[in-house]
Amino acid sequence: MEAMIQPLGLALDGLLALTLLWLAWRVLASADLFKSIVFFIAFGLVMALIWVRLGAPDVALAEAAIGAGLTGALFLAALSRLRQGEEGMANGTHLRRANGLRFGAQAALIGLLIALFLALGFALLSLQNEAPGLSREVADMLPASGVSNPVTAVLLNFRAYDTLLEMGVLLLAVIAAWSLSAAPKEAVDAPGPVLGGFVRLLLPPMILVSSYLLWVGAYAPGGAFQAGAVLAAAAVLLLLSGRSPRASGWLGWPLRVILSLGLAVFIAIGLALTFAGRLFLDYPPDEAGNIILVIEVVATVSIGATLAALFAGGRPQQDKRE
Amino acid sequence: MTAFYLGLASFLLITLAAGMWRILRGPSQADRMLAAQLFGTTAVAILLVLAQAMEQAALRDVSLVFALLAAVTVVAFVRRAWPPMIEETGEDA
Repeated sequence: MEAMIQPLGLALDGLLALTLLWLAWRVLASADLFKSIVFFIAFGLVMALIWVRLGAPDVALAEAAIGAGLTGALFLAALSRLRQGEEGMANGTHLRRANGLRFGAQAALIGLLIALFLALGFALLSLQNEAPGLSREVADMLPASGVSNPVTAVLLNFRAYDTLLEMGVLLLAVIAAWSLSAAPKEAVDAPGPVLGGFVRLLLPPMILVSSYLLWVGAYAPGGAFQAGAVLAAAAVLLLLSGRSPRASGWLGWPLRVILSLGLAVFIAIGLALTFAGRLFLDYPPDEAGNIILVIEVVATVSIGATLAALFAGGRPQQDKRE
Repeated sequence: MTAFYLGLASFLLITLAAGMWRILRGPSQADRMLAAQLFGTTAVAILLVLAQAMEQAALRDVSLVFALLAAVTVVAFVRRAWPPMIEETGEDA
């Protein structure tokens, strides 16, 4: 039985790789955009399984949360908006196929791709078998990081700069989306009894799982991005069900504060440490765990709000003051 | 036991690949969407089996997230893309 483990693992990995390649080809080659979207959802699932097999459960978790909770819904909403724009056109969502390349050009392209594949394969094979990487340094410094999950230690302590800048990128993305247009007014009916009950049933566990992922990130796969993505999925579900907090005045300053809170607190902590005589984002080892927790909590809320705002797709339209 | 779990995961993956035929053929958008949902369920099962095979409890969290969020896509489909505004030909495979 033991001797079977390696060939079976290899068979599973090979099957996963082939499925992924086939799905990627179908996503690109389908003339029907809806079919492409469904294939892309399946692609995300298989990709998550592959991350698991590669020993990267943190990435698999992020892929699961973003792939299942956000990208599918985002693409479907974008497709319906595309259709509204193309209403009346005979062949709405079908991409017109470009005039086929000439045979010579095709042959040259295929030859080029094969050459590229061979060159990359050769480069890969000529690498050292075991690239040392930095995992030993991370393991050495882990006790001083305040957390025991090496991924969280790298993301929020050793390379906190990267995460700080990523929060900035997310905020910039919302600013860009808002400056392009106002959110389109979707004609959303009030939810029926099934959807209404479903949302009421599902939202509390979503918030619970989001908090769990945030907390567990200190010592196991999880963390602010995964938790924020689950939170965003909960918000997307609310938006889709038509129970958006449109009337309650949440879309004005409160939303802007929530969106920028993660980045603001991150920078404030970094500056406070500078004034305390340390380097920017150089946490004292005794307090590192608490500092990381504070940053992750505000980051989760901001990431959730950011992704949900991007799903809404434009600056919120203020209700007329009455 | 590990070999058994790995074999089981491979078998589940093959059933998933077989389900892709439904996405490819349709004929309606709902058929394709439901096939993708079936994939989500299969992926949860594969992850639970792999959590046992690879002895990584964290994979159960991944399957939890998949199970919890699978419905979001379907709600988006029903609320935004259904009913289809453009008549389907049903044979665009």
